[in-house]
Amino acid sequence: MGNIRYLTKEGFRNLKVNRLMSVASVTVLFSCLMLIGIAFMILVNIEAFITGIESENVIMVYANQDLDKLDYDYIKLGNDLRSLDNIASVESIDKDSAYQEILADMDDGLKNYLSGLDENPLPNAYRVTVSDMAGFDGVVNEIKKLSGIQRVYENSTLARQLEQVRDSVTYISFGIILLLFVVSLFIISNTVKVTMFSRRLEISIMKSVGATNSFIRWPFMVEGIIIGIIAGLLATAAVWGVYEFALGSFSAVLSGLGGEVRVSFLDYAPYLVAVFVGIGIFTGVFGSATSIRKYLKERKFVELED
Amino acid sequence: MIQFTNVSKKYENGTHALKDINLTIEKGEFVFVVGSSGAGKSTFLKLMMREEVPSSGTIVVDDIDLTKIKKRDIPKFRRRLGIVFQDFRLIPNMTVFDNVAFAMRVIGTKEKKIRRRVPYVLSLMGLNEKARNYPQELSGGEQQRVALARALANNAEIIIADEPTGNVDPQMSYEIVDLLMRLNEAGTTVIMVTHEHSLVRCFDKRVIILDKGSVVSDGGSLIREAATSHINAASEISNEYVVPPEEDYSAYAQEQTAPQDEEIVIEIKEDFSVTGGEN
Repeated sequence: MGNIRYLTKEGFRNLKVNRLMSVASVTVLFSCLMLIGIAFMILVNIEAFITGIESENVIMVYANQDLDKLDYDYIKLGNDLRSLDNIASVESIDKDSAYQEILADMDDGLKNYLSGLDENPLPNAYRVTVSDMAGFDGVVNEIKKLSGIQRVYENSTLARQLEQVRDSVTYISFGIILLLFVVSLFIISNTVKVTMFSRRLEISIMKSVGATNSFIRWPFMVEGIIIGIIAGLLATAAVWGVYEFALGSFSAVLSGLGGEVRVSFLDYAPYLVAVFVGIGIFTGVFGSATSIRKYLKERKFVELED
Repeated sequence: MIQFTNVSKKYENGTHALKDINLTIEKGEFVFVVGSSGAGKSTFLKLMMREEVPSSGTIVVDDIDLTKIKKRDIPKFRRRLGIVFQDFRLIPNMTVFDNVAFAMRVIGTKEKKIRRRVPYVLSLMGLNEKARNYPQELSGGEQQRVALARALANNAEIIIADEPTGNVDPQMSYEIVDLLMRLNEAGTTVIMVTHEHSLVRCFDKRVIILDKGSVVSDGGSLIREAATSHINAASEISNEYVVPPEEDYSAYAQEQTAPQDEEIVIEIKEDFSVTGGEN
């Protein structure tokens, strides 16, 4: 439609006429989005790091020494474990294969000596993982009540600490993201307000010749959306750059801490682009819509202060 | 037809801008609205453009009751009006052509129609040569003619001119009013608000005088002359369009019925010779 074309052209013209203001708001919005992106990538990495450690954080349930893996009691223990709440997986560990695994890690002398012995000192066991780390302790207590158990081995302190870290990291990140999001909204609505003020003459004429409010609003919305999209794309690129750089300099430290946890930016890039452009468009439409509504409501076209 | 019935307007700050206004402006009429500042002229215009709603009473323009019109129908209503402002309100970074075209573009007129219509209204205003000029390259009178062309662009049925000669030199003022007259002869209703009485006297048209929010006079040239003669004595002598200072029409209500002064009648004759005949 010709109208839409004209209005969109007007939106671009707004940007050009208010070049300085547009650059300023793209810059500020870009910084906000970049901070959001960095906060998000840090969150993702910590999440991956914690998940990596947690996956090793299993509960080992050692059955009584005399229980063979085909014994009724041993199988019942497995079923009892599976029927508990908050269980992600229950895996039976055969004592012979476990023993072989241990032997394989030992040096030859010791290995030869131990394999010479006929006896396997290990009991059969179950490897239990929980689905929600918050209920870790509860699961351990439940397991301890079951019969046929020799010993339950777990490391709940580490699990709990990690859970706390993860929670606070999540809350803080979301807080920061929310805050920056609100700031972005203000920036865009402010830009649009400034633009509207600088074009109040045109708006007053438009109102006096009977242009509808939506017609008046459209170019300003287009302006907000364009600012949002440009800032969003720039921010994605910037976060990528910063992330790759950070990964390069910190990977040594990270791998020392908790194994090879590598989160590739490109895995998350599509989400980031979508979210950024989404935020850009949302703030563009919303920021401009609210400021315009207020403006159109307050300003009468007859009076026009200079 | 514009009909005000018992219209009063009181602003939130307590100003009683208009008090019980009753008047009818017929289709195709030319009306001057005069009054000192604060008399309620601008409120009168704002009510007519549906910028404000009356505190009480009803305003009907053609078939539309402005006190009942829906918000979303206001823009459509305004397209029937052509509004001319004292300060021209031309967009400085647009050419004369674009300024006129702007009024059509913002209501969604097709470009093809704009290209035909704009030169036509510019020619009506004698501005064909200036189409590519920018407003600041034009004189005040020319700028106001551009504004008038813009008001005409959308085929307005009613022209509302708010002090259209306020920023224009006397010679040009006369021309502007003359253009409004010609539009009026072509069938457009024209309402012109002004405080330049000497200008009003040059034209034999209905004059509505507002004072302190009330209509103190509504009628033809003789009555109008009586109302303005004593005020404009100074401008009469110097034969210039001198804008009188704050005027007081309060005494007018009684004067209205008093027999007219002979001297004034002579003056009217002089004025009519300027406009080239009466009625």
